Formats: sequence, structure tokens, C-alpha cells
Amino acid sequence: MILVVDAINKHLHLEVLDEMFQLRARVFGDRLGWDVKISDGREIDEFDRLNPAYVIGLDDNYEVVACVRALQTTGPHMLADVFSDILQGEPPLRSATLWESTRFCVDTDRLTMSGRGPGSVSRATCELMIGSLEYARESGIEDIITVIDPVMNRVLKRSDNAPCDYIGATVQMGKTKALAALLDCSEERIARVRAFADITGDVFVNEEEFVNARALRKPKQTSCNILAGEVVKYLTEQIDDATNVEELDAALALTQHMLGSDLHETKSIARGA
Amino acid sequence: MDSSIHGVVNYPDAWKQHYVEQGFQDIDPTLAAAATNTGVVDWQRLKPAEGFQKVFRDAAEFGICSTGLTIPVRGAYGDSGAFSVVRNCSDAEWNRQRPEIIKGLQIHAANFHDRIMRQGRSMFFMRQPNLSAREKEVLQWVAAGKSQPDIGIILSISVRTVEVHLRSAREKLGALTTSQAVARAIGMEIIYPL
Repeated sequence: MILVVDAINKHLHLEVLDEMFQLRARVFGDRLGWDVKISDGREIDEFDRLNPAYVIGLDDNYEVVACVRALQTTGPHMLADVFSDILQGEPPLRSATLWESTRFCVDTDRLTMSGRGPGSVSRATCELMIGSLEYARESGIEDIITVIDPVMNRVLKRSDNAPCDYIGATVQMGKTKALAALLDCSEERIARVRAFADITGDVFVNEEEFVNARALRKPKQTSCNILAGEVVKYLTEQIDDATNVEELDAALALTQHMLGSDLHETKSIARGA
Repeated sequence: MDSSIHGVVNYPDAWKQHYVEQGFQDIDPTLAAAATNTGVVDWQRLKPAEGFQKVFRDAAEFGICSTGLTIPVRGAYGDSGAFSVVRNCSDAEWNRQRPEIIKGLQIHAANFHDRIMRQGRSMFFMRQPNLSAREKEVLQWVAAGKSQPDIGIILSISVRTVEVHLRSAREKLGALTTSQAVARAIGMEIIYPL
């Protein structure tokens, strides 16, 4: 599922954004060794202060597993101001219908590397690409320029989402190389990625449902405790009602099975009986 | 860079007057919230925002509906703006028309923003468009009468890339069409007349 967070709805998704900055720190800082600033386990740069649009991938448990950031090329953006070496001294492309996409990443720790099914890196990657292309189209955007490393370039090609061209040169950036790729936001491209990943339906999450589902995740713990309380009550009754040794043994075995390691507590219940 | 704010509107005079009297510019979410965004903001999304009901309840009395959108614009010099359009129509028609007009609105929003910015004395330097070598090259071949597929072959780049360079060049020159961009580029001696 995909969620778009921007200036209008960010107050509703502060926790999601925080998870996203942590994911970026793990991927770009720890795994890829990019020259990024990380503080308190979060990777945040000056472009995050410009209210970019974040296209965020979520797993079935509504947790952040992928993200990418969109900025207008008419304004300040990474290729113009940070990755300008790629442009070899040339001014950047600037167009109202061209967006820049940066910080594309997926959580390879939480997803499986093999296959293309749900829960796989490939699936999350494709879903995020579809989400960002469709979201851009909705804003009237015709093309995306994206700053990527050679690994991401291969991922794009493998997902039937090969760039239509490259701008400037491939240059060394810290431990890795960086290049700028052009991708048209055409229906044909979206259809190709959808076909590759076998994704047919709407990829965007219903925002209201999402907010409610996330809110329910913590009380889940409480409802578990209530359930556990009910179970203990039931087991205690079973032990209390036991009229012979067999029944008591059965009740104790059930208690041990249900409560597992809490055997100590079971025994004290039994003693009470 | 100055910190001035410019506004151009073509709403009915009575609404403009009422709007300013009520100080709606301070609470109108289509101005404040929408202008800071990256993507287009459909006003549907602003309904829960503070001020929305207050502004649009009054707007309805002046015949202005809440079916509209705001396109945030960011300039290269830290300047920013917003271009809003409103249309009195059914939701169904709005949803049908929106995808058709949105690209054109993006271009016009950026063009409109640049025009206003260029009027200020402090933005005088913006009148010198900063075209890349590739953008000049593409424009030069257009001036020489080559089609976009031809230019793609000549420069060994995809047709789509030719289009992206051309679009960027047009916008940097403040031109709405390629012909206008070529005329301006020749006038500014960025390319040669052929």
C-alpha cells in the first residue's frame, strides 16, 4: 500500500514520517554508506524542510517499508544544489511538469530478497514506483528526473522500468557512484511495471482507514491483555472445578499449554485450589 | 531578493471587497497551506482545515464554489507562489476534466509566476535565462527546421529527452510555445537565426 504525505496531511502522519527518516538512515547511512547527515538515528536534510511530497510504501501491518521524495525542479532541488557535479557545470533542467525524485529506498531487512510476491523487496520496489508515477501524473507531471546509484539503475531496468535517458555524467559520490536518470510518467510505463510485478488494483491506501488502523495497533496490546485475563479466569475455574486427580492434571496441562512459561503462576493457582 | 507579496485575482469585485474586509487572506487555507506544498492541492483535501468553512460559506453567497485547486509554484531563487483555479461544476465533471487540464495549468502557473517575478527590480537578473548547452543545441536544431525525432537521431538521445529539454528551454525563456521560444532565443542571441 502507498501513502502520500505532504504539507497538507503531515500533521496526521508524524509517526510515519519519523519511521521513514529512520529507514533512510538505515539504508543510506548504514547500508549504502552515502555521505548523508544522520542525527539521532534519522536521516534528514535541508530539502526535507521544503515540504516535499513523500510517497511511502507500507506493509500489511501499516509499517513503513519503502519511501521516495519528490521536489519541483523549478525550485531548489538536489540536482541543482547538491549533485551538481553530475551536470558537469551545466544548469539543471527546470520545468513545471518535471519533478525530481530522490532518496528512493526499501527496507531490505524487513522484506524478503527472493521472489516477486507480497512481502518481497521486488514487490515493494515496484509498488513504490507505481505509486510515485501515478501520484506525479495526478499533479500533471510528465517526467521525473531521479538521482540514483548504479544498483538502483539496475533495479529500474530489471523491473521493466528502464530510464528513457540519462542527463550529465556518472560521478563518484562518497563510496558509490551517482547518476541522473529520466523517466516519463506515461501510462505505458506504469502498465509495464504493473505487468512485471503483477499488481492490478489501486495501490493507494485509504487515508482514513489507514489512520484508524494505525491508531488500533497500540490498543491491540491492551485487548491481548484483556483476553489473557479471560483465559486465566477460565483456567482457574477449570482447576477449581476439578473433582479428581485426572481432571486436575488435565486442567493443569491445559493451563501450562495456554500460559506457557508462566508455569510458576499456574502452580500457585493450583495450590490455591 | 525582496520580501514583497503580489496577488492577482479575477474574482467579482464584490467578493474581493468582502474577502479583504473579513481578512480572509489570513485564514484562507487555499493560500497559506496550499502554497507550501509540492504537488497540486485539490480543495477537497482542505475541507477539514481551519478557515475553510468560514471562507467558503461566504464565498457561496457570492456564487463562488469550492470546486477548485491550487498549484504551488517554486522558483529557483527561493521565491514561491500559488496559482488557483475554481470552476462551478458537478463533482463528476470536475473529476473528468481535472486530468485533462492539469498539465496545461502547471505550465501556465509557472509562466504566470515568472512574469510577476520578473516585474520586480530585484529580480532583474532573472531576465537572463540560464540554458544548458543541450537545451541550446535542441533549440538550434528546431530553428534549423528539424523535427523532434530528427533531433533525437542527430544528438543520439531519445525523442522523450528532446521533449524534456525543449520543455525546460521554453519555460526558462518564458515562452508558451516552441516557436515563441525560438524567437526569443534568437532575440537574446542564445541561438543563431538560420
